[in-house]
Amino acid sequence: MLLGCWQRYHIYAFARWLNFKPMRDYIVLYINGKECRVAGADAFLPLSSYLRYVQSATGTKVVCEEGDCGACTVLSGAVSGDEIAYRPINACIQNVYQLDLRHVITIEGLKVDGELNCVQKSMVQNQGAQCGFCTPGIVVAMCSLFDKKCESKTPATEEEIRDALTGNLCRCTGYEPIIRAGLETNTEEAIALRALYPSRQIIESIGKHKGDAPLVQYEERIFFGPQSISEAVEFKAKHAGTTIIQGGTDVCVQMNKRGFDPKVIMSLNNVSGLNELNVEDGILRVGGRATLAQLEEKVTQLIPEFADILWVFGSPQIKNAGTLAGNIVNASPIADTIPFLYVMDAEFELTGSKGVRKVKADSFYKGYKKLDLQSDEIVTQVNIPLPKKSSTLKLYKVSKRKNLDISTFTAAVVMERENDQIRSARIAYGGVAEVVLRLPKTEEFLAGKKFTEETFVAAGKIARGEIRPISDVRGEADFRLILAETILEKFFHECNEEQAAWAR
Amino acid sequence: MGSVGKDIAHDSAVGHVSGESIYIDDMAFAKNELIVDFYASPVANGKIVSIDLTRASNVPGIVGLYTHKDIEGHNKFGPIIADEYLLAEEKVEFIGQPIVVIAGETRKAVLAARKVIDVKIDVLEPTLTIDQSIARKQYLAEPRFIKRGDVDAGFAEADHILEGRFISGGQDHFYLEGQAAIVYPGEYDNLVVHSSTQHPSEVQEVIAHVLGLQQNQVVCITKRMGGGFGGKECQATHPACMASLVAHKTKRPARIVYNKDDDMSFTGGRHPFQNDYKVGFTKDGVITALKTDLYTNGGAANDLSTAVLGRAMTHADNAYFIANAHINGYACKTNLPPNTAFRGFGGPQGVVNIENIMEEIALFLGKDPFDVRSANCYGIEERNTTPYGQIVYNNLLPALLKKVAETSDYKNRLEAVKKFNQTSKTHLKGISITPVKFGISFTTKFLNQANAMVLIYKDGTVLVSTGATEMGQGANTKIRQLVADEFAIDPNMVIMAPTATDKNNNTSATAASAATDLNGSAAVDACVKIRQRLAECAANYLSSDGAGISPSPSHIVFADGNVFDKRRPDKKLTFAEIVSAAYHERINLGERGFYATPGIDFNWKTGVGQPFLYYTQGAACSEVLIDRFTGELKVVRADLWMDIGKSINPGIDRGQITGAYIQGMGWVTTEELRRSEDGVLLSHSPTTYKIPNVQDMPRVFNVDLFDNDKNDVNIKGSKAVGEPPFLLAISVWTAVKQAIASVSKEAAQKLKLPATNEEIIMCMATSKKSALASAKQTKA
Ligand SMILES: Cc1cc2nc3c(=O)[nH]c(=O)nc-3n(C[C@H](O)[C@H](O)[C@H](O)COP(=O)(O)OP(=O)(O)OC[C@H]3O[C@@H](n4cnc5c(N)ncnc54)[C@H](O)[C@@H]3O)c2cc1C
Ligand code: FES
Ligand code: FES
Repeated sequence: MLLGCWQRYHIYAFARWLNFKPMRDYIVLYINGKECRVAGADAFLPLSSYLRYVQSATGTKVVCEEGDCGACTVLSGAVSGDEIAYRPINACIQNVYQLDLRHVITIEGLKVDGELNCVQKSMVQNQGAQCGFCTPGIVVAMCSLFDKKCESKTPATEEEIRDALTGNLCRCTGYEPIIRAGLETNTEEAIALRALYPSRQIIESIGKHKGDAPLVQYEERIFFGPQSISEAVEFKAKHAGTTIIQGGTDVCVQMNKRGFDPKVIMSLNNVSGLNELNVEDGILRVGGRATLAQLEEKVTQLIPEFADILWVFGSPQIKNAGTLAGNIVNASPIADTIPFLYVMDAEFELTGSKGVRKVKADSFYKGYKKLDLQSDEIVTQVNIPLPKKSSTLKLYKVSKRKNLDISTFTAAVVMERENDQIRSARIAYGGVAEVVLRLPKTEEFLAGKKFTEETFVAAGKIARGEIRPISDVRGEADFRLILAETILEKFFHECNEEQAAWAR
Repeated sequence: MGSVGKDIAHDSAVGHVSGESIYIDDMAFAKNELIVDFYASPVANGKIVSIDLTRASNVPGIVGLYTHKDIEGHNKFGPIIADEYLLAEEKVEFIGQPIVVIAGETRKAVLAARKVIDVKIDVLEPTLTIDQSIARKQYLAEPRFIKRGDVDAGFAEADHILEGRFISGGQDHFYLEGQAAIVYPGEYDNLVVHSSTQHPSEVQEVIAHVLGLQQNQVVCITKRMGGGFGGKECQATHPACMASLVAHKTKRPARIVYNKDDDMSFTGGRHPFQNDYKVGFTKDGVITALKTDLYTNGGAANDLSTAVLGRAMTHADNAYFIANAHINGYACKTNLPPNTAFRGFGGPQGVVNIENIMEEIALFLGKDPFDVRSANCYGIEERNTTPYGQIVYNNLLPALLKKVAETSDYKNRLEAVKKFNQTSKTHLKGISITPVKFGISFTTKFLNQANAMVLIYKDGTVLVSTGATEMGQGANTKIRQLVADEFAIDPNMVIMAPTATDKNNNTSATAASAATDLNGSAAVDACVKIRQRLAECAANYLSSDGAGISPSPSHIVFADGNVFDKRRPDKKLTFAEIVSAAYHERINLGERGFYATPGIDFNWKTGVGQPFLYYTQGAACSEVLIDRFTGELKVVRADLWMDIGKSINPGIDRGQITGAYIQGMGWVTTEELRRSEDGVLLSHSPTTYKIPNVQDMPRVFNVDLFDNDKNDVNIKGSKAVGEPPFLLAISVWTAVKQAIASVSKEAAQKLKLPATNEEIIMCMATSKKSALASAKQTKA
């Protein structure tokens, strides 16, 4: 037992300290309408393993165990007001404890009165399944789309279907039959998930457990699900090695694939308030557990360039679980939001036992995965100034495959310009060093220059000199150097083409 | 009306969409079942110095650890050449080669043991590339050749000669369900093996061979696979053998399931090729001679490499008549996991070589590649013999090319693409048409046989079992339709039983696109025999009771679920009634059917023969859009035309076409197997290995079946469809080549396959400079 007695003592002392609050030593989740109380070892399993090997619900398939194929897609329903909002997630990278107080719907729970639902019927009629191994995941993802169509009863568009299935790989069909199945799904027959599983009952039942925070232990592992920021900070302060597993889309992959085995785990899923997004004084404020999906919805109108990047970020499943804070703290040099946060001068609010402090995005990263973050601190909010009307913002994500692929190279450029004179530019590149970099020399060079192709060609050469990329599975260093150089040319041409479009 | 020709749902569709279909790892765990895994060689080449299992055997929950010494039968086997070891003996020859089989009570225990197995290996320098293998003269077999005419005379006749090298990369099958098997031990050392395999008979045979059992002691059952694509033709055998070893030793059920990373790292895939060519042609682009050397990277053991190479060679002509041809084939031995069957089976690698040559000729002459292709295309009455001597009968290639050019509006779009490339600062476009002619039949003659068993029960329902395995391709559905039609009953009355070696013996792999051709024909053979008996019974029955006719089986008609005598059509029996009557008359209601493809053979000593029963043909037009700065590539539109004869199930066949095209698109664009210098596969999961995503599907995707009712050599006039459309995606690669050529001819010439964004950018970036350099040179 790695976790010594003293540490276990602390856990119980902590529980006693929270005496005024009752605790549960089990996770409560609902699977296809049935309540499951999960304690001990099972609470620490990936949901997909729990479903397949504990519940013998083998419809949910496992292929990659890292969120990249969607075979394990299930719906996770969280209470929101007096409804339950269902969203597809990858069951292979969600541990059971992350689903406390959630209602999970699996492929086994999607028939209507024992009959195939409208999506399933259409998949059968359109030969949407060949080997069938991707099919449960595809059907679940597609049912989530048609859940949203229940009210309007409008058919789904091809684009909507594609976007709903970005997280699901199929090796057999070439997707065309699946898309056709989506297009031909009879929305008249579509039944809302909340009709299939009346929300009230589940919400009431969840309500009974809501007041108790789960503190689950198995051998040397402990999971705690605080209900407030102060509880979370307190816990983190007491247990220096606490790992926050929020969306888990980074951590759970490390657990499944790289042998990472955190002992003290906390999820902020039940902390109220922390998932809000709002705009105040030209600043977008994103809560510490707001998901990337929420963020994408919010910025579609506000910052379309950022929405475009979020569109190609991961998949719906990843974005429904993954958070902005997670992307920030995971500190990958190819994290797609960071270059944008750099050039927008975003700041992070960190809450620790000493209170809240604010750190600028580009001074948060001290080295490869080294952060200006104390062991008791939590990212509780991210403040992003909205781009000014006068400025041009462009974001780039270069990857082998356009959708659902980790970047080889990323870039963010914000430029202020008066006619053909560049006033200032802020540039950040990712995938070119241990951390995302601002390019001070290139920025300095551009300030005051003429807005011409030559300027950007020259700037590209300078940019190339400011970075030191490495070769890895996602690309050779030379490729990254070329991208770093020429992406500024692309920026120039794109600005120009837009201008031309305006002129027309 | 029969069901053949109709778009009937896949026979597992309802189970698939509801998650109720059962795959190996969905089978309930038996009480005392063991988990099996293996310790794999971490190095590509080396000598085993010692194997220490002490620590591993002390891991709680470990039940057995087995090395080659524990094998009682034979450790060595192989589908063509017996050059594979189940468990490494003195040396290891590829990363992932099994050394120790681990059996434990739980997955956790097995993983813990795998970590502490201590194998000391003297590491030797690995051979990873074709060049290295050529330099070290490491080959898996003797070279092969196909020769026709006189290439020297052909070159002399030519106006121009081009020489070059073409490189195509490997591909992972990326079937979603990993390799898997469960083995149940029985009495007298018998074993029942459930395997996710395309080849149950091989699994059975090799298990018996390895364990020293008789073949009749091992039953292999395959309900279905979660995808195969060739990857489970030979390489499903190893996991099944390892689990069998455990079940045999422990007398406990044993389960093995490869996770994705191990599966991708340790099993082989599509063969990479490196081809040198010298082509002579007239000023009009007509080829006068071709000499090409095809080198393939076979990996550490032959597996099916020589056969794959053979198919590459018999497809090196693709759709083109080459009067003087000299095609050589070399199977290189390297330290990669043995490469194996993969949809197309070398065909795509042979075809893309000649398609690249077509592009090169067009580039050189400044012609539209479509015109060069048309000029070289096989003729109908003449210029229609392949380099290996088979005549292309029923040749639809010229018609297909014309059709696709028309329906895709090729000429106009080509002009638009040219204009676009002149004006766009940010993007490039390319458009290309390529044809395909794919030979159907196993090139190994004896494999072209199949047997089937048809059983009719007293209620008139039918159970069919054949050697065809179901991996999603719909073979079972098509056979079900064929059988239903023989008895004129509803296909729902027919169930396809899991493929099992105790019902169908000595079967061939479900491969070469021919599963329905062979097994469907065998099933129909059985049905015909039963129907004859039923007709006799019906003739007696329907002529009794003063019907005033004498019994005549030839007047008996099976139609719409009924049986009647043509002369008294009003008096009908249902199918179930006649079956029941026949049963009571003590008539045999079960039958075995058999089929052997007639008239095919090939002689590799002379490189001539008649290897194929017929050719499946098609043509495609693909248009790509490329970002000049990032190399991002989109296939914006694809128009596919396939001649698949009279389709047994157009819905299922269409699915094969779309699926194969997209899989082929992956091969030529984003799917890249990257390895470290030591041979470690770096792209071993979908995070780093990128198969096409739903967003990559062409926004305009037209798929059409070309009318052809003349393929009377095959069952119901149908044609095999599984592999051929894979090759249509070569048009994506040639379109990329053309897009790049619009910027730099030199860059286009360098382009390798796959054309990843990186490959595209690096070709263009390095050529800009060298183009300048060479310009300087010419001035000086
Ligand atoms: C299939 C797949 C595709 C992906 N695609 C992309 C992509 O396109 N672009 C990209 O950038 N990333 C991608 N990712 C990575 C990942 O999804 C993102 O980094 C995501 O934002 C992580 O958020 P999370 O909530 O899941 O983090 P988690 O995994 O829960 O946590 C990540 C880290 O952040 C810490 N953490 C989380 N929340 C807080 C908090 N509030 N305060 C302090 N620490 C915290 C955790 O302790 C951990 O160290 C992908 C991942 C997968 C599996
Ligand atoms: S198994 Fe691939 S995403 Fe979960
Ligand atoms: S049907 Fe086989 S992977 Fe989709």
